[in-house]
Amino acid sequence: MSSGRSTTARDVSINPQTWRWSHPRVLVEDPDGEAGLAIASGLRFAGYAVAVCPGPRGHGQCPLTGPAGCAPAHDADLVVCNLGYEREVAREVLRELRTRYPSTPLLVVVPPEIDADLREVLDSCHQLPAGATPEQVVAAVQGISEHAAEGGAASA
Amino acid sequence: MRSPFHSEPEAFRFLLVLILALVPIVLAAALGPTWLALVVLAVVLGGVAARAAQLRMRKLRSPDLLVKMAPPHLGSAAERRVLVVANDTLSEEALLCEVERLGLAPRMHVLLLVPAVITAAARLTGAIDSLLDQARARMQAALDRVGHDNVAGKVTGEDPLEAIEDTFATFVPDEVIVATRWEQTAGGLEPRLAGLVRERFAVPVRHLVFEPGSAAHEPDEATEARYQREFGAAAARKFGLRALAGAGILAALVMSLVALARTTPTNTTTPAAANQAAALPTGAPSALTKVIELKVIASGKKGPDGKLHDDFTLTEFQVTVGQPLTLRIDNTDTVPHSITSPEAGVSIILSPGTHDYTLLVNQAGKFEWHCAFPCDPWSMAHVGYMRGFITATAA
Repeated sequence: MSSGRSTTARDVSINPQTWRWSHPRVLVEDPDGEAGLAIASGLRFAGYAVAVCPGPRGHGQCPLTGPAGCAPAHDADLVVCNLGYEREVAREVLRELRTRYPSTPLLVVVPPEIDADLREVLDSCHQLPAGATPEQVVAAVQGISEHAAEGGAASA
Repeated sequence: MRSPFHSEPEAFRFLLVLILALVPIVLAAALGPTWLALVVLAVVLGGVAARAAQLRMRKLRSPDLLVKMAPPHLGSAAERRVLVVANDTLSEEALLCEVERLGLAPRMHVLLLVPAVITAAARLTGAIDSLLDQARARMQAALDRVGHDNVAGKVTGEDPLEAIEDTFATFVPDEVIVATRWEQTAGGLEPRLAGLVRERFAVPVRHLVFEPGSAAHEPDEATEARYQREFGAAAARKFGLRALAGAGILAALVMSLVALARTTPTNTTTPAAANQAAALPTGAPSALTKVIELKVIASGKKGPDGKLHDDFTLTEFQVTVGQPLTLRIDNTDTVPHSITSPEAGVSIILSPGTHDYTLLVNQAGKFEWHCAFPCDPWSMAHVGYMRGFITATAA
């Protein structure tokens, strides 16, 4: 069997699939595939339909920051972001989420050190400290959902 | 209704491309002959098809940035659902042992999905049923061997990935196991299938490789990457061939249309010529290009008495003996009028509205005509109103 060669610097399709389920939907943005799947698994068992996206990663392309937009983000009821905010492109994703979908709750896993710029981006976002376990993320999502449902019922 | 566009710029870009594509077609259709419009249409369609093919090829060759998705877990939190996708590997004892082990776990549901890999050749030759029967036989043998009530089976003739997608809507697995050989065999599953499932669904996916008599193996990342590359290249090749065939068919169609458009006789005076031709006896001269237009107007022209009188806007007709002349007459009155000349053998009744008539005189001379329908008596008696002359000269 031949070994695989590196596949860097290739074009990437940025047209993700759309939601197929009508349950409460949570988009998980996490560059770590295993961590994303662990959160997704917890959320699935808590009754949520999930989408897991690695975010812009190394190639720097994300449909959210382009004209095409992002179908899963468009229709998500809540977004969990754990993109690591050392890179500007990750902050750009947060800004786009806030700008395009201001009414969608955003749960952000934040680094220990938050600079002024990031603090501004995180304004009105729900936050969890870095290193939060999947169970903690699921619990936070449930809390935000319940709060949103209560808010919706109160306003109705 | 939801917009198919994800953003306003995307919708605007689509609209812009649509307008840019339509403008040359409309211009060619309005200003040029039909064949030119067809050629422009072909060029625009070809351009769009080439761009679509380019994007498709790029997508097939490159790794997708697909968002993985999954529906909520079905059943109580203690239950687990595992989907096992296999076909030819179902005969392997190692796989059956794995399924048996899964079936022993409490509150576990296992579904054996057996896609009968149906090739294009099988579809053409109608060999689908035998492939489905083979898959059913494999599945039944596996179920008999495992012998647990919580292990079910399903055979499908769908594309394996589509079948798995459907299963996510019905069985809702918490984990997927894809069992293949190291390399695809005839009727076997594509080894790349596991990667495709992994890219699309937000559940753990295990790729187990079975060879006859051996234990299960899990391919390493390099091998999965090779599967991905080879699958992408093969899909791109297949798509390229299909696109080429489609382009050939399209080109043949457009060439046929252009040829048809160019061989259709064109005549700038088509309506008149058609009417004249219809009015003429067989074997009439073909020089039917001249059309005289005139009107009949009730109370349309002031006479020397200062009153308005009925009139023809043209009352002098020059014709060549034996050659028909087309008169396009708009009778604006509500009653019929006529051009009647018994000496010239002419009697044309003019119905209200615009119609084409044929004036044909078979002898030379200058003949007076008049309107034979009772109308304005003064006009009927005066040349230049409802009376005039037909001058026929020899050819």
